[in-house]
Amino acid sequence: MMDENSSSCIPFLIILPMATYLLRRSLQALLTLFAISIILFGLISSAPGGIMSAYAENTDMTPQDIARLRAKYGLDDPIPLRYAKWLGNTLRGDWGNSFVSKRPALDEIADRLPNTMLLMGVMLVVTLLIAVPLGILSAIKQYTWFDHVSTTLAFAGQSLPVFWFGLLLIIIFSVTLRGGDGKPLLPGSGMYTLGAPFSLLDRVKHLILPVAMLAFVSAAGYMRYLRSAMLDVIHEDYVRTARAKGLRERAVICKHALRNALIPLVTLVGLDLPSLFGGALFTETIFAWPGIGRLYFNAALKTDYPVVMAVLVIYSGLIILSSLLVDVLYAALDPRIRLA
Amino acid sequence: MCGTLIVGSPQEPGTLNPLLASASIEDAISSLSIEGLVQVNEKGEYQAVLAEALPTVSADGLVGDVQITPGVKFSDGSDFTCADVKFTLDATLSDLSQASTSGYGDIDSLECPDDLTVVATFAQAYAPYLRLFSYILPDTAGEIAALDTWEYNRQPIGTGPFMVQEWAAGDAITLVRNPNYRVAGQPYLDSVIIKILPSREVGMQLLGTGEIGALWDLTEADFGALAQMKEQGVAYVAAVTGENELLVLNFADPAVDAPADPASAPHPILSDLAVRQALQMGIDKQKIVDALLSGNVRVGTTVLPTGEFACQQPASVFDAEQAKDLLESAGWLPGADGIREKDGKRLSLKIATTTGNQLREQTEQVLVEMMRNIGVEFVIDNVPSDVLFAGWDSAGMRKHGAFDVLLYTTGPGIDPDSHLFGNYHSARIPTAENEGTGNNYSRYINAEVDAAIDAAAGITDVAQRKELYCKVAAQINSDIPRIYLYERLLITGYRTNIQNFVVSPGASDFAWGAQNWWLKP
Repeated sequence: MMDENSSSCIPFLIILPMATYLLRRSLQALLTLFAISIILFGLISSAPGGIMSAYAENTDMTPQDIARLRAKYGLDDPIPLRYAKWLGNTLRGDWGNSFVSKRPALDEIADRLPNTMLLMGVMLVVTLLIAVPLGILSAIKQYTWFDHVSTTLAFAGQSLPVFWFGLLLIIIFSVTLRGGDGKPLLPGSGMYTLGAPFSLLDRVKHLILPVAMLAFVSAAGYMRYLRSAMLDVIHEDYVRTARAKGLRERAVICKHALRNALIPLVTLVGLDLPSLFGGALFTETIFAWPGIGRLYFNAALKTDYPVVMAVLVIYSGLIILSSLLVDVLYAALDPRIRLA
Repeated sequence: MCGTLIVGSPQEPGTLNPLLASASIEDAISSLSIEGLVQVNEKGEYQAVLAEALPTVSADGLVGDVQITPGVKFSDGSDFTCADVKFTLDATLSDLSQASTSGYGDIDSLECPDDLTVVATFAQAYAPYLRLFSYILPDTAGEIAALDTWEYNRQPIGTGPFMVQEWAAGDAITLVRNPNYRVAGQPYLDSVIIKILPSREVGMQLLGTGEIGALWDLTEADFGALAQMKEQGVAYVAAVTGENELLVLNFADPAVDAPADPASAPHPILSDLAVRQALQMGIDKQKIVDALLSGNVRVGTTVLPTGEFACQQPASVFDAEQAKDLLESAGWLPGADGIREKDGKRLSLKIATTTGNQLREQTEQVLVEMMRNIGVEFVIDNVPSDVLFAGWDSAGMRKHGAFDVLLYTTGPGIDPDSHLFGNYHSARIPTAENEGTGNNYSRYINAEVDAAIDAAAGITDVAQRKELYCKVAAQINSDIPRIYLYERLLITGYRTNIQNFVVSPGASDFAWGAQNWWLKP
């Protein structure tokens, strides 16, 4: 009887604070999003330039033509009214049409989302495959030549300017080095060879350089993080206890040290998840990758605010969501953390 | 039959509908699919394309007449008739259209006596009538009231040599042969792929490696790189755009907001004609061209474009000594640091251009040197292009007259009518009253120029118009509201295995001649 009572009590005790916690955090998130959208809208709308600047030198446009265009894009309304209209439409699920293509902003995003998710997803997997083993090894082999080399590489990866590194990769692998057929060893732009039939190998080849660049840079960060987390953990008492129990070193590292050291990595990976949506502006620009980063950048240049707002608000929403997720996950992983 | 040409474009078009286009790249790409009654060839001359001959107008300019070429079909197989011309007019004048209505708005009625005859009645003569209907939309394009959402906007149906097969957003647009093209056996190419690139630099590199066959939208700044790539089989074609890289001189006091008449608030330095003459005389335009542009362009002499309305004007004379004399006699005497002064005021002017444009920044530095040589100080004060070109509402510095000297590019293209009116007519000085309408940023007022521009706008006879424009150009050159530095070119890089590669200076005529392109294996 007692047992039954207590077992039904415990989940209740955990779920209730969790639910109120989630509710509170969600409300905070909505408020944050609202504030972000006001700031973004204000900034974009008050920037000079905009859709009308394309017609600045076109003297064939009559004053009536200009007036008609301004009316079409609602540019004669004051900015607060424009924001109110945007917010109203967005809450009803209408994110507006791109000023440039006249297509729904969400369609523009949907067109490029698979490209970005492919690039960033592959990048994230490769990054973890490199960073986790390297981080562990360099921590347990602290101050060996292996540690020195990998730490130095990590430093280099974190300090290299991405655009410079990307161009360097292109010069080496797509300009200087040639394959057997005299063609560039690796393609330096795009997702596939234009005009050629679909080929998986071709797709993979096009992924190599951008993924290599991104993975090198972000693996460096992950690796350094994991290394220091591991170093903290392997000097803990419970690791020493595990060793004293006579566990094999492999079991000590994998079961006792790594699991604890991975907790901070969860935060890092979790906070990077929204970039699966947001893409990487520099990488997409350098390697002509048709993703969200470039969509956003080009839209910003043209003050195409329906698209800019859609990308930014969705991205901000995902960041807020993922940090919430990380907090919840944290509590699940680490019993010492209580959500309140 | 003869392969695929990949053309690199540093920008992605938003639409291929000429009525919604706002960037020249959009017109350039759609010109592969869409043709007009009249287009501009690579020499800058009007050519009848879908008409038997160039359209004609009655002596009073009120009735226009066009005979359509028989047997022309759109890429969807439907016949091109007068009804499509009428549809194009209606769509152009509709509320959602973003195209200029100049001239189209003057058409009172457009009649179709038969399928191949178009008769337009104008409410008033429209001088540059040949520029009308440079694009034709089929009446099957869609409901005019739903213009923004037409499928046509990304898959235009035209009479041109190619048609859009696929548009992968942010990536590439694939165009294939139009099976109904009006010339049997053409186009020669199987397909043209527009590859969207992140930047010119990437494009240049791909052009060198041969990953793309042609690269659109290069500038004079790329001459050096293009010359180096000659060995790799890269050449370029340059079309004269009818625009000049130029200096705009402000006649009004920059401290006063948008005065309608600079006489009420004259510029403390530039309102004096002698100073403007001295500035022009102190600039060695040929040296700028030789030093910065490898001598590949012509120095600017006039606002009028080459082509139909060309009117040769004598090039300005470079004579630093005479420039100094002019300034001396205007009362500007050398000060302690070599910069001239008059009544305690230094002969110092701010020059502004768009930041990040290396060629313009170099031009400024050369100008600063040349000006210092005659005792004038040019202080460089550049701004981002969005700020330089900002509109009236965004407190645009051009619109409000808050500058001394500006450096940028503008010009009339083919027909000077609207450019001269917009840039040099006193009715087009941006003021609070007209909500900043117009591009007469010098605030230049000359009654004779106004009268000649107005007169030319009312007649359609080319010879008479040309005479009037010649007069305007000469008068402008003696009043010097602007100093024309050099003629701008539209440069397209291409690999030399592409045959018959010509491009037209007008963006919407870019693919003029694309049916003749082919690739040598």
